[in-house]
Amino acid sequence: MATTTLPRAATGYRSGLYEWVTTTDHKRIGILYIVNSFIFFFLAGILALLVRSELAQPGIQFLTDEGLYNQLFTMHGSVMIFLFIIPMLAGFGNYVVPLQIGAPDMAFPRINALSFWMLPLGGILLSLGFVTGGAAAAGWTSYTPLSEDRPLGSPGAGQDLWLMGLTLIGTSSILGAVNFLVTIFKMRAPGMTLFRMPILVWTVLVTSVLVLMATPVFTSALIMLFIDRNLGGHFFDPQFGGNAILWQNVFWFYSHPAVYVMVLPAMGMISEILPVFSRKPLFGYKAFVFATAGIGALGFSVWAHHMFTTGAVFLPFFSLMTFFIAVPTGVKMFNWIFTMWRGKLTFSTPLLFALGFLTMFLIGGINGAFSAAVPVDFALHDTYWVVAHLHYVLFGGSVFGVFAGVYYWFPKMTGRMLGEGLGKLQFAMIFIGFNLTFFPMHQLGLAGMPRRIADYASDVGWNDLNLAATVGGFLIAASMIPFLWNVFVSRRNGKVADWDPWEGNTLEWATSSPPPPYNFDRLPEIRSERPLFDLRHGRTTTHVAAIESGAAPPAPAGH
Amino acid sequence: MTTRPGTRPSAGTIFLWIVVLAVAVAAGAWVVLNAAGIIRSFWPPDPASAQGRQINDLYTIVFIIAAAIFFVVEGLIIWTVIRYRRRPGDDELPPQTHGHNLAEVVWTVVPTLIVIFLFVISWQTLNSVEATAAQPDLKVRAHAGQFQWTFDYLPANATTGTEEPVFSVTAPMAPDGGLTLPAGKTTHLFLTSNDVIHAFYVPHFLFKRDVVPGHINQFDLSIDADEAGQVFRGQCAELCGTGHRIMVFDVNAMDPAAFQAWYDQKVVEASQTPPPPASGEPGGSGAPPQGGGTVVDVTAKNVAFVEKSLTAPADQPWTIHFDNQDASTPHDVDIKDGSGAKVADNKDFPGVAAQDYQIKPLPAGTYTFFCSIHSNMTGTLTVQ
Repeated sequence: MATTTLPRAATGYRSGLYEWVTTTDHKRIGILYIVNSFIFFFLAGILALLVRSELAQPGIQFLTDEGLYNQLFTMHGSVMIFLFIIPMLAGFGNYVVPLQIGAPDMAFPRINALSFWMLPLGGILLSLGFVTGGAAAAGWTSYTPLSEDRPLGSPGAGQDLWLMGLTLIGTSSILGAVNFLVTIFKMRAPGMTLFRMPILVWTVLVTSVLVLMATPVFTSALIMLFIDRNLGGHFFDPQFGGNAILWQNVFWFYSHPAVYVMVLPAMGMISEILPVFSRKPLFGYKAFVFATAGIGALGFSVWAHHMFTTGAVFLPFFSLMTFFIAVPTGVKMFNWIFTMWRGKLTFSTPLLFALGFLTMFLIGGINGAFSAAVPVDFALHDTYWVVAHLHYVLFGGSVFGVFAGVYYWFPKMTGRMLGEGLGKLQFAMIFIGFNLTFFPMHQLGLAGMPRRIADYASDVGWNDLNLAATVGGFLIAASMIPFLWNVFVSRRNGKVADWDPWEGNTLEWATSSPPPPYNFDRLPEIRSERPLFDLRHGRTTTHVAAIESGAAPPAPAGH
Repeated sequence: MTTRPGTRPSAGTIFLWIVVLAVAVAAGAWVVLNAAGIIRSFWPPDPASAQGRQINDLYTIVFIIAAAIFFVVEGLIIWTVIRYRRRPGDDELPPQTHGHNLAEVVWTVVPTLIVIFLFVISWQTLNSVEATAAQPDLKVRAHAGQFQWTFDYLPANATTGTEEPVFSVTAPMAPDGGLTLPAGKTTHLFLTSNDVIHAFYVPHFLFKRDVVPGHINQFDLSIDADEAGQVFRGQCAELCGTGHRIMVFDVNAMDPAAFQAWYDQKVVEASQTPPPPASGEPGGSGAPPQGGGTVVDVTAKNVAFVEKSLTAPADQPWTIHFDNQDASTPHDVDIKDGSGAKVADNKDFPGVAAQDYQIKPLPAGTYTFFCSIHSNMTGTLTVQ
């Protein structure tokens, strides 16, 4: 392919901190998102290790100030969700989406930079609580009236900082969603029809719609609680005629769709990786798109399944809707499996993590169905079963997806491959550590261990399972050592990646690694959802049409 | 599996397989040695109530369906991964299948039917668990507050849950406290809170319900007749603050005749005991001081210190006589100086009980005394 036929930006890339701080290039902003998210991932991971250390044995080990224990799990959840998973996936969206649709950048590059820079600011605000007399301590859900300004609630500045930090982060999400929507609708390359878009782009599209519809509701609730705490309001305080359950309704109206915000793009990443390493197209592309849209739509009708035990919701409706949302998720699972079916699988690290996603997310889907059966939820709600469920979805699903994406796109971002040996070692450690940590939590929850307790009696039979979970937690932490070492070494000394090291299907592999500013000098023709596959195998429009109508595939030809 | 000559797995792959095999052998041995206990651990505790048994039956159906789906789908994934791995040197493209409409219909319709079935059976169970008797045998209000439970036994004609109780039990644990109920009878429970949201949760009943300020939840509980004499542990399940974990309580299931005797005795006690004075009795007044020097009385009641300010002599040892009147709720009295440094760190203990804390000499100045468990319990200590 020809190079340097388009005018470059004035000087191309310059290195240096100033360039990174002032950049409006979607690729650099994407990398900033990813690095920032990893920093908060490690921070929140340390908080989780402190929680697990306290719970390793019955008795208070070292957290003699129990207010601190509540701060630790509150901040662990808040940071993991709002500063790691959501921005991490937004970061991959930022880096990959414009490349995959053949666009030179996001539609609004400066707003893109603004969305990013609100994140570290929000994160700092959130964390400042630790040095101003105690961080937020009412759980990441911050149920009212516990989160109101009360002596035994959350009287400190930490809760206010939490509210302000999340308001900033929410605004960042909304701006990002608008940016994604405009980019996807207006900036696709010629030939890239909606049904030729890569699945990752589809999932980012649906995610952005969810963010746009749900996040403003949440932001309003945050501001209302801030008014309650600081300006004499009583929206959520029943002592003065407010309604404690109202917070749960508005919180989950956002936070349940947010679960799909946290997992749909990871599903999209898996849907890019499985076909490439199976050497087959995604099975049931359109079914996959409809399933994604279906999850997005149903996602708005299930929020009260977090509130079955409040005695304040209409149970049958939310039970039925929650059961229904399992159907499109199941469709996706079967499409992934049949993408690999009769394929030729290469077990590179991205595929291993993708398989980790499939096998673990399946558990997270199945154990979620238990809570959809309302009476069973009466037994399981607010126990460690729920902690197991949400980690199988968000860690077994999203985090495995994120690592699959890191290994898959690292060559594109840096021009170097990550080491396979260290990658496989990391996968083995994190896979075993993850199951050792979170699987026993099913049994703990069934046995009646509630969430969010700093201690438990030694005679109720929870000791061994808790110890196993703590050991697993430290194994997960240890798996970050080969990962960081891999990134550190490979960034300079890794195997050099050419444009297309994986034999990819999508447009990001049709430019150099890393891509130049404005991404493409020249684009291949786009006749299917796999333009690079068509190019590599010499497929013409007629070929593609013949294949899609079920005729025999033509003999592959070189390019 | 055949290995072609000249192709050797990398060191990373060998290491991975060694790790996987070691873990598989260890896990397999553990599973075989603990088979019965492990299977049991995937069920909730033995249900002790009529409602709990129905939930347990529903759980069993959901679990069997879930386990079947789990093994089928995981098996499919594992089989696919092993069967369709790419052999070394194989560069031929596999068939480029783009999808199959009938397959998509099948794996949309079949799961839909399964979830509709699950919905119907869980709805049926829900209706029967939520059903309330027209004439329950007993009405009790469980009142939750930071961080203790009070069980108010209500008159038989109670309807709203806000009635004056016949008598109350404030101690949370057996044998003297907790929620005492007749086995084999139906109790109607009202849940009230004045501060934050709590949750009434007893694992053996497979049931929990939130205790919401401003909204009274109600349900029926029918402990099985053959559970008489059993004690079941309950616990707050909704994060309610720093003392969340200490909000435990016992449920005593009694034979109906024994329950009636207990109930009658409680009614008599309630009629004989005059209402306690509003400020609470100074519990330590009669206890002799055990250490040298001045003795300062501190009383904790209803998760608050009765004394808001204390005075102690400077530069000599003195004693705090601490009377914890909150049944089963642990408190202590610690002291910090103006900079926030702890100058006295005393051990907490649950009420109702009293202990003497020996305090080392402190320089004159103003200090804060506080309970290390309840952040609202603070007061001022003047050392002069």
